[in-house]
Amino acid sequence: MTVSTDAILEVIAEESGLDAAALRPDATFEQLDIGSLDVASTLFAIEDKFGVAIDPDQLNPASTIAEFVNLVRQLAPS
Amino acid sequence: MSRKVVLTGFGCVSGLGIGLAETWRRLAAGEGAIRPLLREPPPDHPARRIDGPAACVDAGACRAALAAEDLRPMGQLDPLSLYALTAGLEAVETAGLRGHASLERRTAILIGCGSGGNATIDQAFERLYARELAKVHPQTIPSSMMSAPASHLALLLGCHGPTFVISSACASSAHALGEAMHMIRSGRVDVALAGGSEACLTLGSWVAWNAVGVMAEDTCRPFSQGRKGMVLGEGAAMVVLESEDHARTRGAKVLGELAGYGSSSDAADMTAPDLQGITATIRMAHEDAGLAPEEPALISTHGTGTRINDPVEAAALRAVYGPALSGHTVIATKSAHGHLIGATAAMEFVLGMEALARGVAPPVLNHLGPDPECDLPLALRPEPIDHRVLVSNSFAFGGLNAVLIGRIAP
Repeated sequence: MTVSTDAILEVIAEESGLDAAALRPDATFEQLDIGSLDVASTLFAIEDKFGVAIDPDQLNPASTIAEFVNLVRQLAPS
Repeated sequence: MSRKVVLTGFGCVSGLGIGLAETWRRLAAGEGAIRPLLREPPPDHPARRIDGPAACVDAGACRAALAAEDLRPMGQLDPLSLYALTAGLEAVETAGLRGHASLERRTAILIGCGSGGNATIDQAFERLYARELAKVHPQTIPSSMMSAPASHLALLLGCHGPTFVISSACASSAHALGEAMHMIRSGRVDVALAGGSEACLTLGSWVAWNAVGVMAEDTCRPFSQGRKGMVLGEGAAMVVLESEDHARTRGAKVLGELAGYGSSSDAADMTAPDLQGITATIRMAHEDAGLAPEEPALISTHGTGTRINDPVEAAALRAVYGPALSGHTVIATKSAHGHLIGATAAMEFVLGMEALARGVAPPVLNHLGPDPECDLPLALRPEPIDHRVLVSNSFAFGGLNAVLIGRIAP
């Protein structure tokens, strides 16, 4: 399964309560005010929708949206 | 210095509508909100269905009412919180308190809830037990905890005062209002936002309520012959209470007074009402308010429409008021909005105060004819009244009783 960037952004937007348009690739979680519970919620939904389990330790407040999207796409079963 | 507790804002959400104006319009017109509710089961689990009368809230209209608010810090909102926020915001805006300095430190938030976020819990458990998945949403606990609506209102309004939920089943929000009144009387706070919320029209809650054996298959017919039981509703009702001094100092419009509160436990039975306990609690409220039982009042009954509850409440009213009962007017608004469980007492109190202000008793709906065991001066059609006093009864499962007395200015 190929997971599109837009599909990943949609999940982040849904779980964090932000507009998808606000999710610039170079913005960090911290800059976007995406807290730890938002991250946990996003990881849960990513696993549910795409079957990709991500260890939360791979992410931190300085992780960017682009880094997160790449991580999901790398781990997505093809 | 007066510690009299006055009322300056009301808000409500139920099957009757969003906001007090629409709710009152429908209530006074006798347009009840109870409708057949059918939620088809999944094909592989045909028994899992909701099929019966209920009074549902339009959750989309609640979201629209909150569209201008920043709800993001609150995370996922169960309908329990959505209803509380909608009603709470209306009450605070009616009171003209939004942004007032007293909200920050001198305001309490007390909300009555009979249960937590049922929809969120159902969703999580459906994953575990039906779909046999291992994980649930990380916000399951913060969204579904019974205290979530209190926290969410505090976040919305910037309140740092005492904030919590009170739970006493169907009397929860009467206890919330009564205890809030005492917090103001004692000087602990100047303002309280108090009321109740409930969102229980989910499969798990529905099946459990039906298992108790108290649900009507047709509709809610309080004190009527042929009544078959209660009907679930959902929603929220919130009230702004203030010390009289605080309200006068800021020039608030005073809508009435919370003058008395009685509260007791039967310590007798987990589901059956207790005549002695109910009678004593109504008398306690009158004593607290300094109100003679003979003064003509609008009596908003607990009036669930169950076979057992209604005659016991009727007997309690006859015992307390004696021959003076014929000078009172008795209403039972659950026949219009259903039983809102933790929110029902606050809803009935708000509607009762509105009835006093408008000089109209809203009709008891679905009445098929008198039951000699429930001989009460019921308003069976919209009835002009000139009472200044409301007695609002709540008698919960587990024998927890609370009675509120409200008064409007002469």
